[in-house]
Parts: sequence; structure tokens; C-alpha cells
Amino acid sequence: MSLSGVEKVAPDGAGPVGEPEVTSTERKAFVGRSPGQLAWARLRRDRTAMVSGGVLVLMMVLALAAPLISKLYGVGPNEQFQELLDGNGMPLGYVGGITGDHWFGLEPRLGRDIFIRMVYGMRTSLFIAFAAALVTTTIGVVAGIVAGFLGGIVDTVISWITDVALALPFLIFALAVVPTVALRFYGPREEVPAWFQVTVLIGIFAAFGWTSTARLVRGQVISLREREFVEAARASGAGLGHMLFRQLLPNLWAPILVAFSLAVPQYITGEAALSFLGIGILEPTADFGRMIFQSIPYLQTDPAYVFFPGITIFALVLAFNLFGDALRDALDPKSSR
Amino acid sequence: MRLKRAAAAGGALALLAVMGACSENKGTDTSDDTTRVSTGSIATDPKDSMGPAAEVPGATKGGTFRIIRETKISHMDPQRVYSFAGLMNAPLYSRFLTTFKDDGSGKVTLVGDLAETPGKDVNGDCKVWEFTIKDGVKFEDGRAITSKEIAYGIARSFDPDLTGGPTYLQEWLADTPQYDTKWNFKANKSALPPGLSTPNDRTLKFEFAKPHCDLPFAASLPYTAPLPPDKDTGVNLDNAPFSSGPYKITKNQAGVETVLERNEHWDPKTDPVRHAYPDKIVWNFGPDAEAGANRVIADNGDDQTALAWNGVPSALVARVTGDAALKPRSVQGPTPSLWRLTINTKRVTDLAVRQALNYAIDRSGFIKAYGGEASARAVTTLLPPSTIGYEQYDAYPAGPTGNVDKAKELLAGKTPELVLGISDDSTELATQLKGNLEKAGFKITVKTIPTDAKLDEVGKKDNQWDLYTDQWAADWPSGAAILPVLFDGRTIKAENNSNTSYINDDAINAEFDRVLALPVTEQGKEWAKLDQRIMKELAPAVPLFVENGYYLHGSKVGGIFISSIFGYPSFVNVHVKQ
Repeated sequence: MSLSGVEKVAPDGAGPVGEPEVTSTERKAFVGRSPGQLAWARLRRDRTAMVSGGVLVLMMVLALAAPLISKLYGVGPNEQFQELLDGNGMPLGYVGGITGDHWFGLEPRLGRDIFIRMVYGMRTSLFIAFAAALVTTTIGVVAGIVAGFLGGIVDTVISWITDVALALPFLIFALAVVPTVALRFYGPREEVPAWFQVTVLIGIFAAFGWTSTARLVRGQVISLREREFVEAARASGAGLGHMLFRQLLPNLWAPILVAFSLAVPQYITGEAALSFLGIGILEPTADFGRMIFQSIPYLQTDPAYVFFPGITIFALVLAFNLFGDALRDALDPKSSR
Repeated sequence: MRLKRAAAAGGALALLAVMGACSENKGTDTSDDTTRVSTGSIATDPKDSMGPAAEVPGATKGGTFRIIRETKISHMDPQRVYSFAGLMNAPLYSRFLTTFKDDGSGKVTLVGDLAETPGKDVNGDCKVWEFTIKDGVKFEDGRAITSKEIAYGIARSFDPDLTGGPTYLQEWLADTPQYDTKWNFKANKSALPPGLSTPNDRTLKFEFAKPHCDLPFAASLPYTAPLPPDKDTGVNLDNAPFSSGPYKITKNQAGVETVLERNEHWDPKTDPVRHAYPDKIVWNFGPDAEAGANRVIADNGDDQTALAWNGVPSALVARVTGDAALKPRSVQGPTPSLWRLTINTKRVTDLAVRQALNYAIDRSGFIKAYGGEASARAVTTLLPPSTIGYEQYDAYPAGPTGNVDKAKELLAGKTPELVLGISDDSTELATQLKGNLEKAGFKITVKTIPTDAKLDEVGKKDNQWDLYTDQWAADWPSGAAILPVLFDGRTIKAENNSNTSYINDDAINAEFDRVLALPVTEQGKEWAKLDQRIMKELAPAVPLFVENGYYLHGSKVGGIFISSIFGYPSFVNVHVKQ
């Protein structure tokens, strides 16, 4: 994971301080460790973190390797197997048409393979979630750090913008904007490509998601900016950029990482919700939210169709949340559990 | 954490459900009869138009019949009724000039309802028609119904404020589609529109400028319901229509419920079709298709005497067909609603491309994507099988899953790039069509259209799409209400077109005129021939399927059948078992 950032944290004294845990083997050679190394050690000892982290790595590998998996599996994401459906469009055979060729069965009606569509759906979901989390965290950090450090009129303006963004109803805004944007850029006979839909979604999330990080970072910076090392840097004539990004930012990595790791699952479910409402990713691009939306009416007649995408998105979001919690514990062991 | 716990509970439930469903699906065989033949005639013997209607075996009077529906009925004012729910509801509280005697088998007879016979063509040229009104027909306040009130009802349908209803009679009387400019109802409330007259209390006379041999059929729509001028409340009549039928509306709460109770002044001896067995009929609005079907499946309490109006949703079909106990409570039948993949011939001008589309289409796959054979049956004709005189043919025989090679051959190496417009609530159908047609060498671009705007958008002459799905259900089972409406090029205007193929062929247009002038009894066969000719020579669309109605009712309901005319459950024979 992106723990490399943690390992670079300079021991400024303001970073998370952990009790040096001394075990019998370590008593022989007393080694100095950075807070990053300590956090990593704590994380490794946390079984929940390791299991959820493993699940995440597995899912990310699956998502990244989707075309390769499709080649090995022998089925494309849009390939239809309607000959394996009965006259009412329901999969033949056991549990929604599970066979050696179709591990998770087939979608009713269109007869596409559920496994390969889930792999591709995961790719869509994770890409959107990571990209959105990255963009929102970046905007949030910059806005928060500038507002917190400079104070005064800059702080007022940025806080005011944050409040406005928080006050806008996200769903209504998304419902209004997403279809309009496609109309603005594409003519009546042009197909709206999948990458465009993805970009719009990321943009929507970015426009609304940065506020919480910005507030968090601003608060942290306000408490940091009166500390001695900041005074010292200021006294030595450091420029604004140096102050913000060399002095303050390294002390903020812990909350930022935690915010990031908790934002990703939020965007996974957010994206699923938007696609559920029909304004996210459109047919035929594979997508979790739409898959779940389409499967819900089949709860009684083809539960396997509901089960596989449902359980996967559940596992994905749970793993992210657990990992995010564990990461916070590891980076900031003094915070209350 | 609450979210996670809910998710965990959901996961556990899903797991249970999966385990519970470990039985093998070996496929189904279609249960409804595919051999049924539709016939239609117009009753010539006045006895056919007299009541009472023959008893339904085992039916008894009394009880409350309920109908569960998702949304309210758009209009109840008879002059504004045009939705299917409205058309099936209106006969409960109003009577019309003519009506169809129907038992759901496809064999229908047009009989007089308020009239003694289904109309008399006075000069044999379909221009002057006379109806004699029955003796003993009454309104809910006991007043006798005369030709004057029927004429007033037709006159008020000219009011531009009373939107939503059919417009055949108005257009025919005024001899123009802009009928409200020809005759102003509001300024002439005590007069009658041109061509309509009441020589005496029992005679109603229509005089048209052009022959309209379909008038007896057109007079079966609810706009011929009578209304005394003093009971006309204008737009408010929609909430409380004045009854001339076996029931009157005693309570109407928009979007919640509508209650109909017996009208004591309705005389069964005058009515050839309605039985009015239940004492009370209640529409319950709110539950969606799934909730409605599940309530009726559960068969508890009041739902035992209920019908789920929204039918069996396709996701539940597998469950309902698999449950033998539900079989006696289900009603299935074809409807006249025909789906076609319309080809915009203004854009797709090459006949070979249109024919290739007809060869390439995988109807079986499309029906599976639509909801399966319980909801639809493939057709290769432009007329639905429920049309009088229908003949089965296939101008482009390619088998149920299409013939990709034949299509490629016709395309001769070309890869036509076509844009498919699809309403945004049925994008699976677009995915299906795209997959299907691209195998045959077409390049399909999918554009979604907001569902509520789709009808208006494809009805614009210069719309930007090459293909779109369309559906058409005629108001009476005659080719005259289908082919000229959909394919007469002289009717094309800038907006609101029904001819969405935008086909305009002089030879075919001339044929429409010729067949329309024939007596109704001779038209049936000619429409079937013309249907075949249009498909062969012009291929303006790809016929896909006719919808199948599939409904469930509670264990104490009897007598429900699917109307051969509109394809929705009919209430004329309904009865509640004690």
C-alpha cells in the first residue's frame, strides 16, 4: 500500500510517538526506528489489518489484470450465452447457471458471465474510487493547509467555500449535472464513451468530497502553526512553500492517510449508488452498482445473481474500512479506540 | 458501524437464499396456446345486443373485488379516458354506443351497448350512420338516457381543455385533425358539432364528409358515454364521473383508492356484456408491480379477492410458473400491443440494409432480454395476431435466432453505422440489439433517450436516430387502426408522428385508400395482404413481438380474462367466491 509515505516521515518530534516496544530478541541490539517503521511494525502485528490488506491486494490484482483474466477464463465481459437460458430468460442448471465454464453463473435475460463482469466491474469501481480519493485528498490537503496556516482573509474565504460545498445537496446536484454534461459534449448521434462517464463521476466526487479533508487538515495545521519548529523555520526566513510542504505537511501524513483510506470505500459505495440511480456508468460497461440494481428483482427467483456481486462489494468495502481503522490505530496509537 | 451490521445481515440472508435455491432449472415449456385464431364480427341481429348477458358458470352475486395498482388511473372522465387501466375501468361506471362482446378467446363480436345495434350505414357508403338508443337505459339518478345526452358527451369531447381522450369521432365529424378550430364547444354548449344530430330522443345520427366504415368500432371507445348537460362539471368530472353503468363512484381519493358501488338504476336486461357480480369494486393504488404480485401470491385477507393489475414482473415469472398452486390463479394471454424495431427510412434509405436487419434479428434473444416468453411472443408481421383477418407470414425467414450469414450477404461487405435510440430505462435491450446486430456486420451506436420524452422525440420528423423500438396497440382489432396510422406517408408532419418509419410510398398510400373504402367485413383479408406487401417491398421496421399479459389474482376471484381488444384484464365477468 501507500505506506512508503509514512516511512519517509522525518522524526520532528511532532509525529506520532509510539512506545518503543521491546521484545526479548530486540534487547540484544537496540535499534533506532522512525515512527514510520514503528507504525509499520504495529500494522504487521494487527491480524485484522493483514487479512483485510490481503483481501484488498487480491482484489486490486484481479481488477488490474481483468483483460488477462478474461483471456485465461476464455469469456469476454460482453459475451452473451443466451442459449444457456430458458425461455423466460433464467439460467438453466443449478444456482443461477454455475458450471465449470461460468463460475458464478449467468445473468438472467442477457446471459452474460457474472464472474468476468464482476472482475471488470471491480476495475471500474476501484479505479473511480482511487482516482476520486486521490483528487479529493489532494485538493483537501492543499486547501486545508493554506487556510490553516495563513489564517485571516484566506482562511475565511476557503472556509466559506467549504461551507458552500457542504451545503449543496450532493445527490440532487449529481442527478442534475451528469446527464447534462454528456449532452453538452456529445452530439445526438455520438456515443458517450465509458472514459467520459468515469471522468464525470470522478469530477463530481472531487467537487464535493474535498471538504472533510480540508477541514481536518485545517484544524491540525492551526494546532501546529504555533509550535516551536514552525517558529524556528519562520525565524530562519523560510518561504511559504517551504513552510507548508516541508515543515507542516510531513506532520500531517497520519490523518491524511487515514482520511484517504476511509474515503476509498466511501467512493466505492457512492459510485455504486449513482449507478444504481442510473446516472453513473451506463450499459454495457460492467459496474457493481448497476449490477446490484439489476439483480435485486431476482432475489426470489435467482438469488445467486444477487449474492455474488452483493457479497463482493460488501467484502471490498468492509476490507477497506477495517484496513483504514487498523491504519489509524497503527499511525496514532494514542487515539482512543 | 450500523451500516456494516446491516450489510452483514444482508449477506447472511443472501447466503440463505442461495442455499435455498439449489434446485436445477431444466427449462420451461410455453403454456399458452400459440394456435389461437382471432375472429371478429359485427352483430347484425339486434338480439345479440340485448341483455342480460349469459350467466358465468359458478358466479354468484356479492362481495368486494379489489384491484392493486401502482399508480392512479390518469383519467376517469369518459371523454378523456385513453389509458389501458382507464379503458378497462370505464365500462364499470359508463356505457357507450357500442361495445365488444368478448370472453378472452380472441373471438369478438361488436354489439350495441346503449344502441340497439352497432350502427346502421344508411346509404351503404359509410358516410351516414344511425344509432337507435335502447329503451330502459338510465343514469345513476334514475333519469332515462336519450340520444341527446350521448350527443352532448361527444360534443364535449371537442373541448380543448378536456385532453387525453381519443379523437377519431371529432376528426371525422370536423373532417380535419384540428377539430377544435372547426367547432368551438365552449361557445356552443347548447348546439351540436357539425354532422352530429338527434332527430328524436332515440336516434343519433352521424354525417361524415368522407366514408368511415370503422365507425361502429370507433364508437366503442369511452368518449361515446352519455352525460346530462346539467351534470357537466368540466375538468372536475375527472374526479367524480356521472354513472350510466352498473357501478357509481362513491369515493375517490387520488392516488390512494377509488371505490365503486352498485348503481341501482342499471338494468341488466339492457346490457349484453356486463354482469356486475361484486357489490363493490375497489382500486388500491400504491404498491409497485413486485409488491402487488407478492401480495396476491401470499393470498392473505383482503388480497384473496384482489387482482394485481401490474401483472407478474419478469423477475418473478420463474417463481410463478414453477408453483403449481398458482396456476389456477393466473391468467395469461396475448395482447394487441406489438413491438417493432422501427427503421428511420429517412436516414436508412438502402432497402438492402433494412432487409439485412430483418434477417439478422434474434427475436428469441430479444424476448429473453425483454423478460421471456411469458411476457412476449415473437411475430414477423406488422399486424398483431389479434387483428381481424390476420395471416401469419415471414417475409424474411431466418429462424428464431436470426440468420447472420444471410444478413452479411445482403450487406455485401458494407458495415452500416447505425444509431440506436433507446429509452433510458431499458438499456439492456440496447445491449442485446447491439450484440445481436454487430455480429451481422452492423456498427451500432447506442444513445439513451429519457423515457418520458421518447415518444415525443422519435415522433419528430427530423430525429437523429436510425433505429428505435416502438410499440403500437390499436383501439380496435382492425388493420385500419394500424397500417394507415403507422405507414401512410401523407400523414407525416413536423412533430407527433405515429409513422415513425417516415415511409412514404405512393403505391402503398393508394392501397390504403382503396382498402379503407371497402365494407368492414371485406377489409380483414386485404389488410393482411397489404401487411405482407409493406414488409416485402419497403421493410420499414423489424417486427419483434406481441406482449403477453400475465396476471395473478387471489383465490376467491373468478371470471377474469384478458381482453381481446386491449390485452388487459377485463372486469365484466368478474365475481367473488364466497
